[in-house]
Amino acid sequence: MERDHHYAIREYTMVKFLKLYEKIGIFILIILGSVFLAIASPNFFRADTIFSIITQGTYGGIVAFGMVLAITSGGFDLSVDAVVALTSVILAMTIPDLGIPLAIILSILFSCVVGFINGVLITKFGVNPLITTLSMATIVRGVAFLITRGRQIPISQSEFMFIGTGKLWGIPVPIIIMVVLFIIFYLLLYQTSLGRYISAVGSNESASAISGLNVTFIKIMVYVLVAFTASIVGVIRTSQALIGIPSMAPGFTLTVLTITILGGTSLSGGRGNLIGAVFAGIFISMIYYGLNLIGVQYFYQMLAVGLVLIFALFIDGLRGRYLEVARIRGIKV
Amino acid sequence: MNENNVFLQIDKLTKNFPGVKALSDVDFTVNKGEVHALVGENGAGKSTLIKMLGGVYRPDSGDIYLDGKKVTIANTRQAKSNKIAVIYQEFYLIPDLSVAENIFVGREPRILGKTFINWRKMNSDAKKILDRLGIDIDCKRFVLDLSVAERQMVEIAKALSVDARLFIMDEPTESLTEKEVVKLFEIIDELKRQGVSIIYISHRLEEAFKLSDRITVLRDGKKIGTKITRETNEEEIVSMMVGKIVKEYFAEKTIRADGKEVVLEVKDYNIADDVSDINFKLYKGEILGFAGVLGSGIHPLLRSIYGISPRTSGDIYFENKKVDIKNSRDAIDLGIGYVTEDRKNEGLLYDMSILHNLTIIIIKTLTFFKGLFIRSKNEIKVFNNISKVLDIKYASIHQRIVYLSGGNQQKVVIGRTLVSDCKILILLEPTRGIDVGAKAEIHRIMIDLAKKGISIILSSSELPELVNLTDRTIVFYKGKITAEFNRENMDEEKLVAAQIGQNINN
Repeated sequence: MERDHHYAIREYTMVKFLKLYEKIGIFILIILGSVFLAIASPNFFRADTIFSIITQGTYGGIVAFGMVLAITSGGFDLSVDAVVALTSVILAMTIPDLGIPLAIILSILFSCVVGFINGVLITKFGVNPLITTLSMATIVRGVAFLITRGRQIPISQSEFMFIGTGKLWGIPVPIIIMVVLFIIFYLLLYQTSLGRYISAVGSNESASAISGLNVTFIKIMVYVLVAFTASIVGVIRTSQALIGIPSMAPGFTLTVLTITILGGTSLSGGRGNLIGAVFAGIFISMIYYGLNLIGVQYFYQMLAVGLVLIFALFIDGLRGRYLEVARIRGIKV
Repeated sequence: MNENNVFLQIDKLTKNFPGVKALSDVDFTVNKGEVHALVGENGAGKSTLIKMLGGVYRPDSGDIYLDGKKVTIANTRQAKSNKIAVIYQEFYLIPDLSVAENIFVGREPRILGKTFINWRKMNSDAKKILDRLGIDIDCKRFVLDLSVAERQMVEIAKALSVDARLFIMDEPTESLTEKEVVKLFEIIDELKRQGVSIIYISHRLEEAFKLSDRITVLRDGKKIGTKITRETNEEEIVSMMVGKIVKEYFAEKTIRADGKEVVLEVKDYNIADDVSDINFKLYKGEILGFAGVLGSGIHPLLRSIYGISPRTSGDIYFENKKVDIKNSRDAIDLGIGYVTEDRKNEGLLYDMSILHNLTIIIIKTLTFFKGLFIRSKNEIKVFNNISKVLDIKYASIHQRIVYLSGGNQQKVVIGRTLVSDCKILILLEPTRGIDVGAKAEIHRIMIDLAKKGISIILSSSELPELVNLTDRTIVFYKGKITAEFNRENMDEEKLVAAQIGQNINN
């Protein structure tokens, strides 16, 4: 009895803690990170430092919006880094002939086609999403190298740099793009029927099919949207570098997954957290900034991202387990 | 009867679940080399009893004696060490291992200081056991490639290999063909000869009579009686099974359907292997019962009508117009609602709120700006309307549905179909797994809906439900319609008999 009681209290505390973490965990991390960086660097509290950290955070954050949808629908997309590279090389190759606006539209369209193919393979042929998108990552990366013959392609139109490095009303353009996309994806996920359907499919596919949802269409849309977010980041990054790079964004997919899960989107599907993704993106960017400050090499950043991912997965696992316990014991949450 | 001959003796075994007396004061004995059939309707306590013998549940009170010694069976391992083997309806074999590996899993014969598996010995030992039962299966085959019947035989061989003295078989013939049933019966005879005791559970009375030495009837968690098989008959057993029916929670009998306006007609419907030559009509405002044991084909038929599984041939007429239902969306658009029997796997959207669960089917119609954005005010209005009709109890509409009780979850799942203005409601086992109070409410809801002119197809394995609620009940046996009763000539005994394939004149 005594022991049972002890366990009950521990479970109760754990459930409370996890619910609290779900709400404010990522903000606490950001505050802790800021305190640390403020102490370590006198330049931290300057507008351009903060803007630069947030801008760095937009890359992962924007693609995390797409990834949130994919995971909410019960899927996954590991091809986003390759899509970023594909967008980059298509842009660089077509800008001279088509001009900037058309080249952007075309490169985004091509990327969406990749998402469409992902979706069709996963739904129509029933291939596992992990393996499908992983294969697609290799194929798309291969195509990016093939069409450029492995070379980087410089862009001569310097006005194209505005998207990645310019400012509007004093705010860096990538941040504005992220805010706009955030609003669009927020409305999409929480305020439209498609968003509702995506949650439903991720919650219970059979129940969704019985409820008359077109599961195939919904899933394909999700993969198109993920590829869309990846292509936006491809445009931003290419604009900053002013060069089309077929090897762009190696390891980026893992960063995006880390941001998505750290942001509180449950791996088990059904519940997505977009706000969390924005702040998780900024937090990861803060880690990069901090490591740069200390002056450590690039591979320490990889190490850090890996550790954060494992931490986020650990919390996600705990959450799944304890919320189930709470349900069985009837603890109110 | 010779006392020494008793292998299993159960004294006053009792098990309570919150709010339900699953089993109370049940006494029961099984002799060595005896086949003892255990019969009763759903919820009679059969599975509770065998789960206590198998170590899945622990009894609240009462004693179990094996071979005269008192034993406790706290877990499945202790059941095994007490030489009790339960052959459940689902098998616990590992599909990617061979037959021999499955039989000896966890205790494979070893060679070279326990380093390596002695394959030769394992295969030959497995073959010996299979031979002892007269089973002809190559023990090197993978379980994956075996038929259901063969898997069952492997399960029996596995139990025998640990020298089980008591076999408990739960509906063993449920998924077997007639030929396979004959083979199973031979194996049971062989086990009997070897002095093994068997508790045999089946819906099919004919089997109980063919196999058993004695029959015990359970009802509502109590033992009604034990009869020596050759001194009784099916009629007596059926009346013991049915007993007096608790009627208080059923609404008054009134004829609701006027029997004129046909809403749905199914003509010459066939689904390969599942159903053949199905013809029936559903009238406006009628509750039409579908009765049948597993394998009757009711579920494949209803799934097919709703468009979520294919048909081989046949036509569906909706309000006298021929319709082609290709998927669930077509069915919903016509006004057909479907409530699954498998609420857990096919009903609930776990991660979503009660509100979102209820409105998922019609959310598209609650939008503005060219169907893009959800108008949450409308959504909540729809919820409140339905919630009032169904009397759903919840703390907040934004609460996740998994935190509701089974009865309230079921109301939400039924409500989901009602919001789409359905004219026909297909309900599969709508009161399964919910408590008595909620059951009565679901029954009330069905009658209210019928009075409003909605036609209901009610597929239920709870016969009192069919007898007391339906205007007509059609009985299915092995994929065919074998009988039809209307309110005046329907009773549980006739339904039981028709469900197990007995020919009766009504």
